Amino acid sequence: MLLETQALTKRYGAFTALDALDMRIDQGEVFGLLGPNGAGKSTALRLILGFLKPTSGTSTIAGHNSWSDGVRARKKIAYLPGELRLYENMTGRQLLDFLSGLRGRPVRPDLQKIASHFDIDIDVPLATMSSGMKRKVALLLVLDPYADLIIMDEPTNTLDPTMREILLDEVREARKRGQAVFFSSHVMSEVEAVCDRVGVIRKGKLVFSEKMVALRTGRQVKIKLPSDGPISELDGLNLVWRRERFLHLEYSGTLDHLMAWIARVAPEDFSVEPMGLEGIYRKFHGEPQ
Amino acid sequence: MIKTLVFKILRDLRLVLFVTTTLLCLFQIFWAKIMERILAQLAPFFHGMAGYSGIEIADMEKVVFDGPGKLMRTFIGGDSVDLNNAMDMFSVGYIHPLVQTILCIWAIGRAAGALAGEIDRGTMELLLSQPVGRGAVIIAHLIVDAITIPIICLSLWLGSAVGCMLVAPLTLKDYDNMIQPMKPLQIELGVAGLQFKVRDITVGKSPPKIEAGKGKLELRPMDFGGAMLAVASLLFSITGVTMAISAFGRFRFRVLGISVFVVLIMFLTNVIGQVWEPFSILRPFTIFYYYQPQPLILGKPWMVTYSEWNAGKPLVHVPFLMVLFGLGGFGYLLAGRIFSQRDIPAPI
Repeated sequence: MLLETQALTKRYGAFTALDALDMRIDQGEVFGLLGPNGAGKSTALRLILGFLKPTSGTSTIAGHNSWSDGVRARKKIAYLPGELRLYENMTGRQLLDFLSGLRGRPVRPDLQKIASHFDIDIDVPLATMSSGMKRKVALLLVLDPYADLIIMDEPTNTLDPTMREILLDEVREARKRGQAVFFSSHVMSEVEAVCDRVGVIRKGKLVFSEKMVALRTGRQVKIKLPSDGPISELDGLNLVWRRERFLHLEYSGTLDHLMAWIARVAPEDFSVEPMGLEGIYRKFHGEPQ
Repeated sequence: MIKTLVFKILRDLRLVLFVTTTLLCLFQIFWAKIMERILAQLAPFFHGMAGYSGIEIADMEKVVFDGPGKLMRTFIGGDSVDLNNAMDMFSVGYIHPLVQTILCIWAIGRAAGALAGEIDRGTMELLLSQPVGRGAVIIAHLIVDAITIPIICLSLWLGSAVGCMLVAPLTLKDYDNMIQPMKPLQIELGVAGLQFKVRDITVGKSPPKIEAGKGKLELRPMDFGGAMLAVASLLFSITGVTMAISAFGRFRFRVLGISVFVVLIMFLTNVIGQVWEPFSILRPFTIFYYYQPQPLILGKPWMVTYSEWNAGKPLVHVPFLMVLFGLGGFGYLLAGRIFSQRDIPAPI
């Protein structure tokens, strides 16, 4: 196990920014953390990185405590902050040289190739670059082939659609290399596209964590019943909400059992869609439509 | 890792360091020229007046620099400075308010930017996401101080040395015309038709002959080397104190404001304490009480005596360098303690 948090909590006076977070990420796993602004995503990442001192609980990276043994823990990590601030008086190359120097190793050998792939000139002063270009330089830093764990806080912010696709490809490449990736996002489509596991955080609490495989096999069922009466039960079928004759259900199981059940219910109308993340996210953060 | 960090900090500071050292060096050269002129005019006046009137130079200075003149004397180094002595007057260049201001701006500006500045700009997050310990950041800044402070000190010394070369040997303007042997007075009085003649009454004595570049006009550039320790101790103490404030802070300009306020209050307390007796008991609480380059230049004891707390009599002898270096070291230790325990907030 590469990353583990146990009851990781951060309080600011009476306000609980993160409430007893328990999670783990294994080698070669891509974990996406979803949640709206202020839900506690960045607090979780900052605690894991050792920027914040936990009020209680622990976070360990490859067995090293993020707070008390932070230097060893961060040796394993490459991090992309949400609010990107770079040393503006440096060029991209100087920044890469500097940060590699801090890690005590040479700059990655394929730097120029990756820079060309990202379509950036790393010899230009950062002060003259656009925010998107700076983000690309930061991605060069974070997509470090030597890091065991890549942590990114809303990585696709300010990226154009092409670059977003390139980034997601790089995440897949990282997984192939055996690196773990942990990122927070608002954008469900990108989490669905690359993640092996997803967590939903709400008011500082991890309210949902599931493998994407399970989410992809799960289905959401919407039906309009002919009458207002009760419905028969089916294994794996759960009611999300009901408004008179309109029902929203979640189902995990074989499709033929579901179709047989629908035939028995004989609805006026129905739809069956893959579960996906949207339904999960709405369940915790939005009102049902 | 620390080496990389040190080089980066030095790289960031190079322009400010260049400007600071150039200003200090130029000021010392400029000061040498000013002192040459003041000495050439002031010293003949005191020597001449003292010689002809028979009053000691020290007594004349006491009269001239009492009252409003006391404030001026305070600024230029207090009673320990002999205004006829070239080395004494040159040493004023190390305590001149402009020099102290430049030194304070450097120390406060650098230390405020070191921690709070990086947090404010958001780059601390980038730095600490690398395998860099918070203690290593403090140590890197300590090493940077160990490099930059001697450079600043050397720039001052270089300025003094060049200034000395430019004005040496010092001569006193028109002094030779003033030291003509005194002619005895011839007084004739007529009282009630009787004539009295009093001959050969001599008041005072002829002023001494002063050779160019000799005696009190001798300049010894190497002696300014001692003052480097005082300058270094001042810079280190202010940097240390500001570093501790910076370790608490989140916004660079807030830290700058607090640090400038603290240092300014100490500066004013020290100055007021020198000119106003009841205030003098507060002086030992200020950094500037311990900043005494002149004893180091002039070969006097390197001690403060806390006589302000003992009715003007020495209370205890404490090396002033030890106090300032100790304060700086304490500031760094405190900064390390605070910085290693605090949260690093997200950039705004």
